[in-house]
Amino acid sequence: MTSHSSPFLHPGAIAKTDRLSIVHLKRDLQTPTILKDHDEDDEGYSEGKVVNTRFGSFPHTTLIGLPWGAQVRASKVDTGSRGRRGQKQEKKQPQEKKRKRDDADSTEHPNKRRDSENGDVAISTPVEGKEEKEAETASSGFIHLLPPTPENWTSSLPHRTQVVYTPDYSYILHRIRARPGSSIIEAGAGSGSFTHASARAVFHGYPREADVNGTSKEEKLGKVWSFEFHEQRHQKLEEEIKEHGLDGVVQITHRDVCEDGFLVEDQSPKADAIFLDLPAPWLALPHLTRSSPPNASLGTSEAGTPAANGKAEASTTPFLSALNPTKPVHLCTFSPCIEQVQRTISAMRKLGWVDIEMVELSQKRFEVRRERIGIDNGAQRGLQTTPASVDEALARLIEVEGTFKTFHETGEKVEGKKDKGNPNNREKILESLVERKVYKEGNLVHRCEPEIKTHTSYLVFAVLPQEWSAEDEEKARVKWVVKIRTEEGQEGGEVIGISRRQLKKAARQAQKDKAIAVTATANAEAAEKGTEETLEGGKEDKIEVE
Amino acid sequence: MHSLVTPNAWVVLRLPSDSFKLLQIVPNTIVSLGKYGTFSSNLIIERPYNLTYELLDRRAGQKDSDLRIVPASEIHADTIAEEDAASNPKEAEDKVVIGGDGVEFELLAENGEVIIRSNRETIDDSARQTLTMEEIEVLKREGTGAGKDLIAKLMLSHTGIDQKTTFSLAKYKLLKTKKYLKRFTVLPLDVPLLTHWMMTEKDANKILEMRNEAVSLIGSWSNVHFSESLPDTEGGRWLVVDETGGLLVAAMAERMGILHPSSDFNWEGKPEGPHREEAPPATSNTITLVHNNAQPNLSLLKYFLYDPTTTSPPCPTHPLNNHLHALSWLQLLKPSEDTTYSSQIETLSPEELSQMKSAKRGTYYRKLRRWTRTTHIVNSTLNGGFDGLAVASSMDPSSILRHMLPLLRGGASIAIYSPTIEPLVTLADMYSTSRRTAFIQAPPASFAELDDEDRGVEWQGDEDFPLNPTLVLNASVQSARIREWQVLPGRTHPMMTGKGGAEGYLFTGFRVLPAKGRVEARGKFGRKKRGDDKVGAVVKGEMVGEEGVKTSNTEMAQDTTEVKSEDLEMAGL
Repeated sequence: MTSHSSPFLHPGAIAKTDRLSIVHLKRDLQTPTILKDHDEDDEGYSEGKVVNTRFGSFPHTTLIGLPWGAQVRASKVDTGSRGRRGQKQEKKQPQEKKRKRDDADSTEHPNKRRDSENGDVAISTPVEGKEEKEAETASSGFIHLLPPTPENWTSSLPHRTQVVYTPDYSYILHRIRARPGSSIIEAGAGSGSFTHASARAVFHGYPREADVNGTSKEEKLGKVWSFEFHEQRHQKLEEEIKEHGLDGVVQITHRDVCEDGFLVEDQSPKADAIFLDLPAPWLALPHLTRSSPPNASLGTSEAGTPAANGKAEASTTPFLSALNPTKPVHLCTFSPCIEQVQRTISAMRKLGWVDIEMVELSQKRFEVRRERIGIDNGAQRGLQTTPASVDEALARLIEVEGTFKTFHETGEKVEGKKDKGNPNNREKILESLVERKVYKEGNLVHRCEPEIKTHTSYLVFAVLPQEWSAEDEEKARVKWVVKIRTEEGQEGGEVIGISRRQLKKAARQAQKDKAIAVTATANAEAAEKGTEETLEGGKEDKIEVE
Repeated sequence: MHSLVTPNAWVVLRLPSDSFKLLQIVPNTIVSLGKYGTFSSNLIIERPYNLTYELLDRRAGQKDSDLRIVPASEIHADTIAEEDAASNPKEAEDKVVIGGDGVEFELLAENGEVIIRSNRETIDDSARQTLTMEEIEVLKREGTGAGKDLIAKLMLSHTGIDQKTTFSLAKYKLLKTKKYLKRFTVLPLDVPLLTHWMMTEKDANKILEMRNEAVSLIGSWSNVHFSESLPDTEGGRWLVVDETGGLLVAAMAERMGILHPSSDFNWEGKPEGPHREEAPPATSNTITLVHNNAQPNLSLLKYFLYDPTTTSPPCPTHPLNNHLHALSWLQLLKPSEDTTYSSQIETLSPEELSQMKSAKRGTYYRKLRRWTRTTHIVNSTLNGGFDGLAVASSMDPSSILRHMLPLLRGGASIAIYSPTIEPLVTLADMYSTSRRTAFIQAPPASFAELDDEDRGVEWQGDEDFPLNPTLVLNASVQSARIREWQVLPGRTHPMMTGKGGAEGYLFTGFRVLPAKGRVEARGKFGRKKRGDDKVGAVVKGEMVGEEGVKTSNTEMAQDTTEVKSEDLEMAGL
């Protein structure tokens, strides 16, 4: 396959074969599916590969070739008889014929029962080299076909571990400066939600076969170096990444980074950004240094840190840092417990990380709805027949009082004007929607969704600046000669970074100081004043430019 | 990108007081840090970012300070020492140390020895400092050790220092450090930092109080990423409405890799004169900005060396030059009334051109370029097919969507930011399940009479349905907010104060393509039930679907019947 692109990064205009797509049923109910034009696993449907949902069955052949975002009607699929078939069919006939669904011929059988539908479908005991059946529209429901994004993947992915949710990964990637072309380390890939999001963030082109080893090129393209120490999760994720066409962007290694560090086949990831979702990030930190760490700094207070391990490494091979040597490296750790945070930060301080910050992120999603209060609305199910106002309450009381009186005085029972019919049958609801326009009634209110994630994890951010030796500084000082202004001299450049008010104040202060200091000869004073004025003038110009 | 401070780059200097200074580091100038002192800009040019410097004491007769790089070990020295002390306690190891910020508890060891002083005896009086104002001023001017001496003296001359608890002592020291320590950190100016600076120090209203949390969420939900065309797949184009002075555009551009000019861009080699090759507008990985005024307000982009308003741009090779396409609402909605778009520049023959005066020829070329560019941008925008929409605007979001939705391809992501929730609630209500159901059941006459083909584009909404409710899926409103913590040995807690103001909300959704003709749906039913009247108070959508149905025209959209009960009860959508 020459066109090796990912549907996450280049969805294109239409859903294509062998590419991931998201079958959207309703909010928070989405099914990721790789579209196949024939049934590889041979599940026995006469229509080929089928997605079964609570809203009906959708043969892949009805989805392939549709534009993204399309609403798709369910098809009639025999789901009953296939269970009786033989376990394995020997040959699978690849199905060349692509069937685009024809929306126009949606035959309507609105009142058909499901059992009668079964009758309609041809007996589908699979036969060798079977022709896949043309799908027929059913009225059980519809779905929308969406292109995959890290967001809908996160909400639909198969959970293997705790998932890093969208608000968290968005904020983390923003803060650790994961941008197109960055190289990012992700340790503790887990279910892969962060993997997909970071792949989108750092993606800057697919590597071509030719320059796999061209390190400079690769660096510019951006890459996710993912590590997972759980064997099965690693395998599953590796499969997913391949299926999603991200294998050029993401490299997954099965490893415990706390033990074995971050070098992959003796190559440094040259990471610009790091995300650690590990139970003990402080054990991984010693592998993320600029230079071979003097083990004393760790060994003394941190029991159990692999200081000895680091030492052993250093003694055998020359030290190779996993970090990008020419950039500040941004790090984020993701830990649910405060004790983990404290140990992590303590280790960070000792390893020279700066700008250490800890935050937690809370997300809320809101429900927006119409709140209808009032006796007149009582017909609607789920609404309390509470009066909307005191006036309404009063009117109701008077009415009740009147009925009561009539009953006692005359013994007549006043005809209840109540509608005995179920107010919630379909026609009533439709009528209330179409005729009364209840969607416009009541107060528009919002509230937090019923279940919220009150705590995901604590996020610790830190930066490790680039190393800067005395020699580097020496060189820079030769290139950029420093001119320090002297009290007497007039050379030196413009002053920047000071506001007009501060400038004036400084000038006034300087003048005052001089007035006190200078009690010397008159002509000397005059000369001084002249310089002061010119200086001030220069500053004023600068300000106006700003 | 952002490895060394390049000459003339915009950087952020963070001072001990946690305030920020945005500066363009021009070579051979003097940087003033106000009361902390001044230093030569050449001392930080071509040095790494994120380093902390200390202003050394001025030598006699000199006006500016030299700098010293403060190693990280020195920055954390105090905390590490404190931690080490805590991990090797000399007495009563099994005692729990309880520390709050205002209230402290007296902890007694078994022998009655005080481990931690309580704040019972502390006197809330600032007058316990024996140094006078004048003495402090003198120390400030003549003090050495970049303020460290002064802080030490202040602590020594505090009469109550021995009565202070560990916690108040630490607080006191921190307070004085922030005030007197002459240190600063050089940070690269990028979108997260610019947002932080705008929010905390500059005018938060100018960026619609859009915090970093919101900026990152908009980016994710509008699915903005680097996406250049491949030979067989088209790349990405995004639509933006930005009233934050260019911050949203900057955030998107950063995610698309077109914000920061390439690092090999050299100031010294800047070509002089107006003559430059203008790159043709890019066709993918682009941002199309629709703006309110004749010219877009992108003032914040100057920090990234992009300024479309000047004739001598600070960076002529800036990627935004051809990846940012700006057009006004007039050019989008009524292009014929826009002067630039509608007045075509006649192509002149080479002979005619050669007869022109050079100034006139220049004008001709400039006009022609402008017209070509505008026409290209307007036409390509009107062709639609955008992959996402990001909005941060104070305009009514429904009025924006009405014109933007037809330009989005199916499956495109929509993210609309608002500092307050009300406009987004109103918008989400336009896509409520009940409204959509009513629309499907009884489309307004003005809509029904349109052809299937035109419906998506032409229908402008009516009073009941301001927007076509079938064009957006998964309309939802969310917000995210961070809470900052202080993590210090024995003193870990959330920050006591923070910034209030607008919370910041995000509306998200997907553009979808409704199926042509009637869509019916009943859900998939396991059992069948009889007797409509017997159905209890909670009516399942399926039942409604199965029973009480006369003809096909009372069929409801499946998710409507599904969600119907929830809708009335809880679910907003």
